[in-house]
Order: sequence, then structure tokens, then C-alpha cells
Amino acid sequence: MNALPPPGRPVVILACRVFQHWLENLLQAWAGAPPALTFFDYGLHAVPKNLRQTIQAAIDSVDQPSLIVLGYGLCGNGLSDIRAGQHFLLIPRTDDCIAILLGSYQAYRREMDREPGTYYLSKGWLEAGTNPLRESQKLAEKYGAEKAAWLMEVQYHKYRRLAMVARDGDELERYRSQAEAVAAYCARWDMRYEELLGSDGYLLRLIELVQSDGAQPGEDFLLIPPGGLLEQALFVRTD
Amino acid sequence: MTLEQIFQNVVEGEMAAVEAGVRSALEQGIPADRILNEALIQAMAKVGRLFEEGEIFVPEMLFAARAMQTGLKLLKPALAATDVQSAGKVAIGTVQGDLHDIGKNLVVMMLEGAGFEVEDLGTDVPPEKFVQAVQNGAQVIGMSALLTTTMASMLKTMEALRAAGVREHVKVVIGGAPVTDAYARKIGADAYAADASVATRIVRQLIA
Repeated sequence: MNALPPPGRPVVILACRVFQHWLENLLQAWAGAPPALTFFDYGLHAVPKNLRQTIQAAIDSVDQPSLIVLGYGLCGNGLSDIRAGQHFLLIPRTDDCIAILLGSYQAYRREMDREPGTYYLSKGWLEAGTNPLRESQKLAEKYGAEKAAWLMEVQYHKYRRLAMVARDGDELERYRSQAEAVAAYCARWDMRYEELLGSDGYLLRLIELVQSDGAQPGEDFLLIPPGGLLEQALFVRTD
Repeated sequence: MTLEQIFQNVVEGEMAAVEAGVRSALEQGIPADRILNEALIQAMAKVGRLFEEGEIFVPEMLFAARAMQTGLKLLKPALAATDVQSAGKVAIGTVQGDLHDIGKNLVVMMLEGAGFEVEDLGTDVPPEKFVQAVQNGAQVIGMSALLTTTMASMLKTMEALRAAGVREHVKVVIGGAPVTDAYARKIGADAYAADASVATRIVRQLIA
């Protein structure tokens, strides 16, 4: 297992916009020159190949050998087959953003055991308009009401729970009415609405790792040394 | 309504027009197997090509598949009366622990559109149900998983197929968002299919 490089390398963070708010908050406590921070559009994961190309291009365009932190999960293989080039890459070892929003891989497993058919909402996803209600409206504009309704049915009828994940009570308050509007739409599939308090614990551990002196990434993160390849198989856990 | 019009309406996903077209074609006395082969199956082949070329996306492919299904339902009674050979028997499901089924449903529709007899095992399918499907004559098993955590059920199913002594009687294709070609090789599946269109092509090759 590789250890984090000693401090001194520039730190570059490339992340999905879904984490913008959380990361910017966490980085306020950063000692010294803050890392370069770039956020990418929410919707890139819809076509994993585009996500991969975008992230690879961003990595390749960093001139100085750096520690590049990827604020992503495997995201439908969008983050597999990414080449480190001259950099170290560090990424949470998770399928997607849900585990990161919930605070840990274990929290995600717990929620999955409670209800595998869960559709998750978050502040980021609500702002990006990526939720079943907005999707149904967009589909209706593009394909007409009948086709849109059928397409929504095909996609969502198996889900049983709509879970709004927020960082704290304040965030829940602010986004509750939007989340409830989505919940009202999803009631047609008997999806129940629940609110979950997430945690910035996963991102906090990521930031701590970056600032550590040669720490081991452990089982919740993947560290790819220069010349290495970020592969799907590395994400697969056996527990 | 000509076969050409039915073909075009399937490609464009116009379900009501396909339904009307197939009814009218049957009334005109056009044999069901001709409607199936020259309009429906040909149309789905074209839809698959358009998808692989990036000309259309998942929604358009789903609309086309639905239109084809509607036509197929009308033909079934007539087809049962004649002696139409299915292209092969496939059983497909989302593996144990996983409820995602959009991709799997799409593969089902594409395979039916290509003339295969498909048994849809549904979601959260335990290994023994896949084994049973092989014992019931499935020539190909399709397994889908949408999470790395449920991919492990694919391996369990492979082991169950071996333990039941039916592995050599069946071809296994796997797919789903986190699945890769390398994973297919690792667990001893016969193939990985990146999307529904590719799945159809691979199944055809596997039982050729």
C-alpha cells in the first residue's frame, strides 16, 4: 500500500459540484496556501465517458507534479481508467456521492440494508434540478406527456423511499419544501419520504489525509502513485 | 399500412401508430411472421445501430422497444399458430441485493425485439433462481448489477451454476454501471455487455 507523499507538493482538488458547499466550508480551516479548487457540473456522470474525459483532461492540464484530490466516487465507471501521469491521485473508495454525503461507507451500507430501493436527494442535486420531479418536466417538454410519464414509470416504480440527505438542521429547513415537492410527485410509486442527517466526516477525513505527513490511505480511500492507473477493481469491496 | 410504415413507426417509438399498423397489416392478411421479421425485428436492429452510433439515446431506444412490444403482443396469437423459431432462450435478472432494473428492462426489450424468447427473472434474484432458469432450458443467463457492493452476487451466482453442474450448459453475460470486461473474466462469465444494444449482439454470437 502506498503512503501519501510528504507535504510540499501542490494540492489540487477536482470535485463534483455536489460537494462544493461542504468542501469550501472544510477548507476554511486549511493552514497555509489553499489548494486549487475546481468544481465540475453535476450532470457529467450521466454519460460516464464524458466524466472520464473531463477529469482526465483536467488532470493532464496540471503542470506541476501535484497531489490531486478527486471529489468523486466510481460514478458508473466514470472514474475508472484514469491515468495519474506525473501526479498522485487520492479519491474516496465509494460507488458514488451518497456514501460521501452520508459520512461513511458504513453509513451507506446501513441505509442500503434498511431500504435498498432508495432514491437520494441532496441540496446539490435539488439545485442542479436532478430529481424525479424536474426530470419528468424536462422529459415532457422533450417527448410529450404520455411518453414522459411512461419513461418515469419505467425508471422509478421500484423505488420505495425518497431520502433527503442534509448536512445539518438548517440545511434541511431551507430545502425541505423543495424536497417535499419531489416527494409529493413520487408518492405515485408509494415512495415514502424521509430526512437523513448526513455528515461531512468522509470529506473531513479526506482533507486530514491530504494534510498528513505520509499517512496510509486506509480502506476508505484510494491512492494512485505517479504513473499509476485508477481502476474499477480497486473500488470493489468484498465485505 | 405497409410494413415499411410499421418499421418506421417502431424506429420513431410511436406505439399507437405501430399498434394500428400491425392490426391493419393482419387484417390485410399479411402473415404474422413477415410482420415480425420484416418490420419489428428489422426496426429494432436499426434502433440498436443508431444507439451504438450515438445517434439516439436511452429514452429513444426505450420508446422504440415499447412500440415493438406492443406490436409483438398483437402478433403473438398468430405466431403461436405458425411454427416460428425463436432465436434462442435467454433468462435475465438483476442480482440478489440489487433492485435497479432500468438497464435490465431495456436489455429484455431489445432481446425480444431481436427475436429471442426472454424470461425476465426480475430484481433481487437469488443464485438458485438463475440455476433453475438454466434447468428450464435457458441457453444464456444475463445478470445485471448497479453497485459494486452487489456485484459480488454475480460471483455467487457463477459458483451456484458450477455447484449445480449446469455451468457448461449455459453462456453467461453480465452488465451494469460498475461492471467491466475485466470483472467478467475474473468471475468466469462468458462476456460483458456495455449496453443493451451490445448485449443483443453478444447473445446472438454466443448461441450462434
